Amino acid sequence: MNNPAASPDIDPIDRLTILAAALPGAVVRQRHITASFDAVWRVVADLEQATPRYEPSVAHVRIIERHGELLRVLVEDTAGREEAMDAKLRPGWCLMQSATVVVAFAARPVGSETLLAHLEHRRAPAPVPSQSGSHQRRAAEEKIDQELRTIERLATQGRP
Amino acid sequence: MDPAKVAAAQQGDALALDQLLDELAPYVRRLCARIAPAAADDATQEALLAIFRGLPSLHAPEAIMAWVRSVTVRTAMRLVREPDRELAAGPAPAHGDVPSFEGLADIDDALARLPPSQRAVLVLRTREGLSEREIATALGIPAGTVKSRLHRARAAFREMWEA
Repeated sequence: MNNPAASPDIDPIDRLTILAAALPGAVVRQRHITASFDAVWRVVADLEQATPRYEPSVAHVRIIERHGELLRVLVEDTAGREEAMDAKLRPGWCLMQSATVVVAFAARPVGSETLLAHLEHRRAPAPVPSQSGSHQRRAAEEKIDQELRTIERLATQGRP
Repeated sequence: MDPAKVAAAQQGDALALDQLLDELAPYVRRLCARIAPAAADDATQEALLAIFRGLPSLHAPEAIMAWVRSVTVRTAMRLVREPDRELAAGPAPAHGDVPSFEGLADIDDALARLPPSQRAVLVLRTREGLSEREIATALGIPAGTVKSRLHRARAAFREMWEA
């Protein structure tokens, strides 16, 4: 008889859902991407080169420490402000956190394609709450959707 | 479980939450697999969601394991009682008190055939080593009810095992 109590790893998409449950206000979107898991994850895991291409507010990313899955990165925004982030990166799971934001990606293969989920969460309140909560949320969802489309484009570039 | 790590997770530290999830998930899955074998995956995910959603309400970080146990057991019990999930359980009885003895494979199989309420108390007592008082707290039922369910569960298990 199979051991029913055996503990496989949590599916990354399920893990992201659980993480979001603990972060009130977190925005999560997901997209079926018409590219293999390897192609998608190659983009997501390339923090230094790929992040500025899909995240409009980021100009540069530099990895300054790496200990296995744990990284420390410096992120410079388009206004020249620099912020340190702690990150955890392994196939199918990327979690980054600074003093002000949490960003996460989760992916799993679906046949020859990939389901990619993306979470963004602001730890500190937004400085100028000029929009209503629902408007802010819709804007955050649209931003993430755009990023997922860009990642899909990057993952499918050069594909025969 | 490091209370400082739990407190950090309660404050929304995502990396602490991630680590907490790694530490709690095997325990939650084990409990769900034993109490709700036909719905272990769903029960595990729902219990973990309830735990992480409710984390800020935990007043004593050092008591996290008892709280996690209670949330998990109640979630597993709720799911195992849902009729469609019980149908998926195959030979396990839905709500009856008379388990089937046919084709019994091993102890886990015998446990899976007990009615859910009896299975839960027997698993918590014999597999998890909880006291009757701890079981009562986890399930939110009187200690006397735990005692009577244990008695019936042991009798049913013995009858099944010796048949």
